[in-house]
Amino acid sequence: MSKVIEIEKLTRKYGSGVGEVVAINEISLNIEYGEFTAIIGPSGSGKSTLLNLIGGLDKSDSGCVLLAGKDIAKMSGSQMSDFRRDRIGFIFQAYNLIPVLSATENIEYIMLLQGIPSVKRKERVQEMLFLVGLEGLGHRRPSELSGGQQQRVAVARAMASKPEIILADEPTANLDSKTGMALLDMMRQLNEDQGVTFVFSTHDEMIMKRARRLIHLRDGLVALDERNSNATP
Amino acid sequence: MLMIRQAWRNIFRNIRRTVLTCTLIASSLVVIILVDSLINSMSGLMVKGITETIEGEAQVYHSGFRDQYDPELYIKNPKSIISYLESDKEVKAFAPRIIVPAMIGSSYNSVGVMLYGIDAEKESNTSRLKSALIEGNYLSGSDRELILGMVIAEKLEVTIGDRIVITSSEINTNQMVQELFRVSGIVRFGPKELDEGFAFINLSIAQRMFNIGEGIHQIAIRFNNPELANSPDLALYKTLPSDTLEAKGWLALQPGLGAMLEMTGFSTLIMGAVLFILASLGVVNSMFMSIYERTYELAVSKAIGTRPSGIAILVLLEGLFLALLSCIFGIIITLILGNYLQDNGLPLGVMEFSGVAFPDSLPIKLTSYQLVNFPFYVVILTLVAAIYPAIFAARIVPAQAVQKAL
Repeated sequence: MSKVIEIEKLTRKYGSGVGEVVAINEISLNIEYGEFTAIIGPSGSGKSTLLNLIGGLDKSDSGCVLLAGKDIAKMSGSQMSDFRRDRIGFIFQAYNLIPVLSATENIEYIMLLQGIPSVKRKERVQEMLFLVGLEGLGHRRPSELSGGQQQRVAVARAMASKPEIILADEPTANLDSKTGMALLDMMRQLNEDQGVTFVFSTHDEMIMKRARRLIHLRDGLVALDERNSNATP
Repeated sequence: MLMIRQAWRNIFRNIRRTVLTCTLIASSLVVIILVDSLINSMSGLMVKGITETIEGEAQVYHSGFRDQYDPELYIKNPKSIISYLESDKEVKAFAPRIIVPAMIGSSYNSVGVMLYGIDAEKESNTSRLKSALIEGNYLSGSDRELILGMVIAEKLEVTIGDRIVITSSEINTNQMVQELFRVSGIVRFGPKELDEGFAFINLSIAQRMFNIGEGIHQIAIRFNNPELANSPDLALYKTLPSDTLEAKGWLALQPGLGAMLEMTGFSTLIMGAVLFILASLGVVNSMFMSIYERTYELAVSKAIGTRPSGIAILVLLEGLFLALLSCIFGIIITLILGNYLQDNGLPLGVMEFSGVAFPDSLPIKLTSYQLVNFPFYVVILTLVAAIYPAIFAARIVPAQAVQKAL
């Protein structure tokens, strides 16, 4: 298996002088294609910061991140935008969707940015809605969908651009356990069927149980990087 | 297309704010159009007041005559000029005049006036003299007829039929001349300086009285197209002037009026600029509020691959829609108010400005120029105002924005 994410001595600090906080401290790790990985740790351990750095949403102070072999630090703002659009899917904790657009339009949005022709977009939207179990609800605006349904639309949008990696920051944090579990099962299914790499930042037990690899962060350092042989099938 | 839909829907996310912002922009548009119309109407009225009352849209006169109104500077043989004016297709009417300072006296009083010797028929087609008559009859050509301004008649305590003695001096010999007239008519132009400063007799007797043969001091002219009056390309201005003759349009004859019209145009510009700057600040404020409310959403949009330019375009589109809605709203209000003011006029009360009396209510007229150009400026200025918020939105750092929002 080849590496989709290569992280080398990555450091991110906030503040300066006495108030300086090292959020990520010279972390090095690799994630391979098709992995279902969870970055876990207590609040303030650097999970979200690491995810943001991997996704190019934040800039590191030192070290490098190679995504699919490309050093994201060397990309301009627009190049990074295009890279994220084409190769990374994002799912956030909440309010992932554009509230004035319907579920269909939210999923279509990213493909529109990619310049995919209208007919193909429509086909793909229907395919994605089916995949996340929301057929017939495409016309609804986010406010007309439940929290779980909104997160499913977010997954569908992240998948629509056919990315190599999906970065999910606490995707189940605002969901009840039943809805969260269903969402996770769906993402695992997508991982297995479509081979998409999932990287989570979480402290949700459900995700930890389903992840095949657990990266434990503590004070900005990798405390433990383990294969989860007990992952729920 | 999706971005256009998104921008359109975004401006209705907070309807109250959108309505307030649109009202602000629309109000500025309404005010500037109505003020421009009012100023245009006032300017038009002033120009008409000046040109139609006595002055005419253009004048031909002996060089230097208008500087001091020196009676000795008269056109000795005006026949060729009159023939030319009769054949010029641009000329609608003209009126030859003799203008001499004189003393006129009644049994009770005497006052100094500017005495006009006029061709009654030609004058009636050129100036407002005939229509300004409030008492008695217009000149019929008889030797002893005299028309007085209302204020002069009051000062002299005379009425129709009363005797008046005009005293002046012969133009070439400076010998005193005195003639007896009877008041045949009293006129009221409106502005006091006209009603207390002018008296009118027939041209033929004036020529005899001042012993200048067929000579005249001035010819006032009206054109078929008054807008041509100040065009230097007019054949009349190229043909008639010579060493002893000048021919000028009203703008050259009344440089003060020209400067004032320019000043009113400039003040409209200043007022428009101030209004639009205030409206633009309202737009900037409203758009920043909208962006702050959507920081997380914009950050997510950027995170999933929307380029900074895409975010900026979205915000600019929202500004464009705000401007278009405001313009539609503003134009509707302007048309309603404009139609009312066109029919009923704007009540100004009794007003006189620069020698022109305005009617009690001044009708204003909207032009297609105002309804097209001003809204166009509003759209452009709103877009300019939206640039700063657009740049701000484009620079949102997703990681920071997401962190702050949570």
